[in-house]
Amino acid sequence: MTQTDTQRAGGRDTVPRSMRRSFWGAVMTNGAYGSVTGFLFKSQRRQFLLLASLPIFWILFANIGPILQMVRISFLDSYPPTVGYQPQLTLRNWNNFFAERIFIVPYFRTLAYSVVFTVATLIITYPVAYFLAKHVKRSSQLLFLLLLLIPFWVGEIVRTYAIMILLGNNGAVNLILKSLGLIERPIPFMYTSFSLGVGIVYLTALYMLLPLYSALEKIPNTYLEAAADLGAGAWTRFRRVTLPLSKEGIASGCTLVFLISTGYYAAPVLLGGPSTTVFAETIAGFFHVAGDQWPTGAAFSTIMLISALAITGLFLKLIGRSGKGLMQ
Amino acid sequence: MTRNTRVLMSVIYWAFVVYLFVPLVLMVTMGFKDSKFIGFPIRGWTLDWYSEIFRSDEVLGAFGYTMAIALSTTCLSLVIGTWIAAFLGPHKFRGKLIVFALACMPAVIPGIISAISLRIYIQFLQLDTGMAAIILGHTIHNVPFVALVVMARLATLPQSHIEAARDLGADQFVAFSRVTLPYLKPALIGAGVFCMLLSFDDFVRSFFLGSYQPTLPVLIFAKLRSGMSPEINAISTVVLVITAILGIWAERSMRRMNKGTSV
Repeated sequence: MTQTDTQRAGGRDTVPRSMRRSFWGAVMTNGAYGSVTGFLFKSQRRQFLLLASLPIFWILFANIGPILQMVRISFLDSYPPTVGYQPQLTLRNWNNFFAERIFIVPYFRTLAYSVVFTVATLIITYPVAYFLAKHVKRSSQLLFLLLLLIPFWVGEIVRTYAIMILLGNNGAVNLILKSLGLIERPIPFMYTSFSLGVGIVYLTALYMLLPLYSALEKIPNTYLEAAADLGAGAWTRFRRVTLPLSKEGIASGCTLVFLISTGYYAAPVLLGGPSTTVFAETIAGFFHVAGDQWPTGAAFSTIMLISALAITGLFLKLIGRSGKGLMQ
Repeated sequence: MTRNTRVLMSVIYWAFVVYLFVPLVLMVTMGFKDSKFIGFPIRGWTLDWYSEIFRSDEVLGAFGYTMAIALSTTCLSLVIGTWIAAFLGPHKFRGKLIVFALACMPAVIPGIISAISLRIYIQFLQLDTGMAAIILGHTIHNVPFVALVVMARLATLPQSHIEAARDLGADQFVAFSRVTLPYLKPALIGAGVFCMLLSFDDFVRSFFLGSYQPTLPVLIFAKLRSGMSPEINAISTVVLVITAILGIWAERSMRRMNKGTSV
């Protein structure tokens, strides 16, 4: 800094010709640039504030703003605002939730489904992650992982549709069962909690698989060998070594899958039926009809968000992990 | 590990791969079926569905719209995400963990709640539903992913490189532009392609923040509600091919980054 300062003080002529000719040299010797940066970078404190300005603004504006606004609307008796009417504060929207069975049932159904689907995803992907981390040669692990990643890049809608084709009455599963002579009439898989479960597991498996894989991959093979030398059988080795050491991966994977699966909207609409209505569909319903239902929708979204976060928090506490692991 | 469990686990792995791929393969196959009726058996094959969608203004319009949104979202997310990473990465201050958690929040909020809160928020900002609203929604969702990827890369930048630049007379801005930014290039490419992917495939935010013009996933959803048809398979296949290409590209640039390319 001192060097540039003296150069600036000495005027343009003291700057080496080569520096002036290059683009960045020209920028730095430009008087306007010098005064702007001279002002902005004057002190450490100012530099820090400059660097902090956009992130802090963005977090307040984009991350916290929408949530706060949603919570605020949930206490208003009318929104979006109509001309000439001042919205009043009310608890009615929150009360609506307890008033009607058609709201409470989808709510508990969503939480129950999400728990079941999360556990199913964990059970299905654990052996896959273990195989990948411990049995595949390190050099080919990436290739094996890539094979699993490709289907997950495809979006939610396309994958949901793919499951519809798989499970439909004229779908592949029914075709195979029929040609094997196991069934005569197609099994109606679609529009049930089964088709919804297959779909959600299909959509979320990666969010479980990746944290599990990275946790399992970190376990040194020597630990397992040592346990084997000390006479531990396969089951004991799994229960006493592998499982505790992969706890962090299980915690992050379950948290992610649970949170994400409570938030699906298109998959339940397309794969589920009237008997599997989830809370996301209930919430969305308030935004499809005319305006004044918004506050109730906002209250219900808030209830969903609080419940989902509370359950995740409780789960992380039970498993003995702080939320920190999630961020890494 | 005994031989049997090893075999069992490899069977589970391959069964899982089949579970992942079979639905997509079926979906692609159905797009070539010479009948309006989705389902087995397939008696004749045709390319008509593809020639139809490539002539359809509705599909092409949705494609252009989705692409425009994805590109704008990516540019915005890269700038904001990198800025957040540059702020949160090297600096230590009180309450950093909370700021970090808040910065990552949009990535883990359940989709429907994110979409609903944004729908309310754009009303509050007096922004109409449509392209700008979708871009804002997607950007909010994508920024944490960019910030995380860039922070990971930033952590491996040797501090001596910056110091050397400063000793040679560069100020903070020039040092950032000429040392940090080139070093971040692989992370920025990877994160950028990932943003394109997220935006291109997003349904729930586009659905609630969009107006009459649908994005591709919203168009597929709308068509599905009025019944399956091989036309939808053709559109979905196009989406699948685009996302697969983007995905492999993102994967390659991220891997190059992890190998530690030099400045």
